[in-house]
Amino acid sequence: MNKTAFLLIFAIGLGFATPIFAQDNLSPERKQAIDSLAMEKVRDLSKYISIIGSKDTPWSEANRVIDRAEELFMTGSEIGVSSLVREEINYYGVRDYFERLMRLNYNKVEISWYNIEYVSDLQRQPDGTYVGVITIFQKFKGYDKEGRLIYQDTTKKDITVYVKRKETQIGGRLIGFWDVLLGDIRVKETSK
Amino acid sequence: MKQMLKISSKLVVMMLIATIAIGGATSCKSKKKLAKEAAAAEYAAKVEQAKKDLNAIINEETSWTIDEQAERVATIKAYNIDDPEVKDLIVKADQKIEELRARKAEEERLKREEEARRKAAQSEFVVLDNSFNAIANAVNYDAANRKIDETLQQFASPDALVLIIISRDGGVNDYDRPTTISRFLDYLKDKKQYKYKVETLKRDSLGKITELELITK
Repeated sequence: MNKTAFLLIFAIGLGFATPIFAQDNLSPERKQAIDSLAMEKVRDLSKYISIIGSKDTPWSEANRVIDRAEELFMTGSEIGVSSLVREEINYYGVRDYFERLMRLNYNKVEISWYNIEYVSDLQRQPDGTYVGVITIFQKFKGYDKEGRLIYQDTTKKDITVYVKRKETQIGGRLIGFWDVLLGDIRVKETSK
Repeated sequence: MKQMLKISSKLVVMMLIATIAIGGATSCKSKKKLAKEAAAAEYAAKVEQAKKDLNAIINEETSWTIDEQAERVATIKAYNIDDPEVKDLIVKADQKIEELRARKAEEERLKREEEARRKAAQSEFVVLDNSFNAIANAVNYDAANRKIDETLQQFASPDALVLIIISRDGGVNDYDRPTTISRFLDYLKDKKQYKYKVETLKRDSLGKITELELITK
């Protein structure tokens, strides 16, 4: 990946992307498309977590996916981690969370998300940002080198999503787009 | 006296016959005049209608098809109207019909060309869609990466712009965050799913793709 060229495009484009505020009256079809887009970003994250956590993923691929996963989040977001063996919930920065996930001390890790749905629909805020909350259930399974399941839990997590209309100039053209960013991921409950 | 009466009665009869004869002749002459006037009025109306129709054809103010217009001009010609204005309008209407025929032929030619271009583009899009599907369905990372390298050969640069339309409403396209082809192909490899289709693309002078627009299925 040519990082310089990429940075050039996005410095010209996203770097100077400006929010647009005149999107008060979205048709139901457009609103539905934005809801789906935000939901898709959460599904993308689900896939990325599964890839990063998997011991079958080559190291270079896992690192690349960490970069992509990190880009899904707003700067400064945190991800909660719980365990059946301790009471407290630890919160980590996004990059830190993914790097810890990649280094988990199991021989095989399976992570899957299911029942992904809105618990709070996207609502327009005074600054034009749409904010909603999506809940997910995460099934975690850790195996030892003999292939025995040594730890598993199911965690319910809430993810705040932010959607904002922005414009970016690419090749002399002004392109309007919806930028979806994920916020904190909060642990709601953990069970076996 | 008797002779006088006989003569005067003959005179009366003759006068009566003369009166009837003269009266009848006058009535016949009046009917012919009326018929002539009616024919003249009918002709004038025909001429007037012909001018109206010809002007409508010349000014493209009629809803008739080109063939119907030609038929109407032929009918007017068959009237053999001896009027310089009508004759002039017929010439102009003939020219207009020729012009309309040429215009229609050109429109149909352009339409056929556009259709051919659209079909060619669609088959070109299908090839790309197939490449993207192949990456999404690759059995492992190596296979996916090989397919990515192959697919990137079609692009001017790994940073070629990719725009994804998430909705289209009232002529307004809503896009996802713009990305590059390299990142998009990696995304397909990670997601193992291609749920878009190629909508448009742009190429440079070497035929390499410089910009791709996809639409969510």
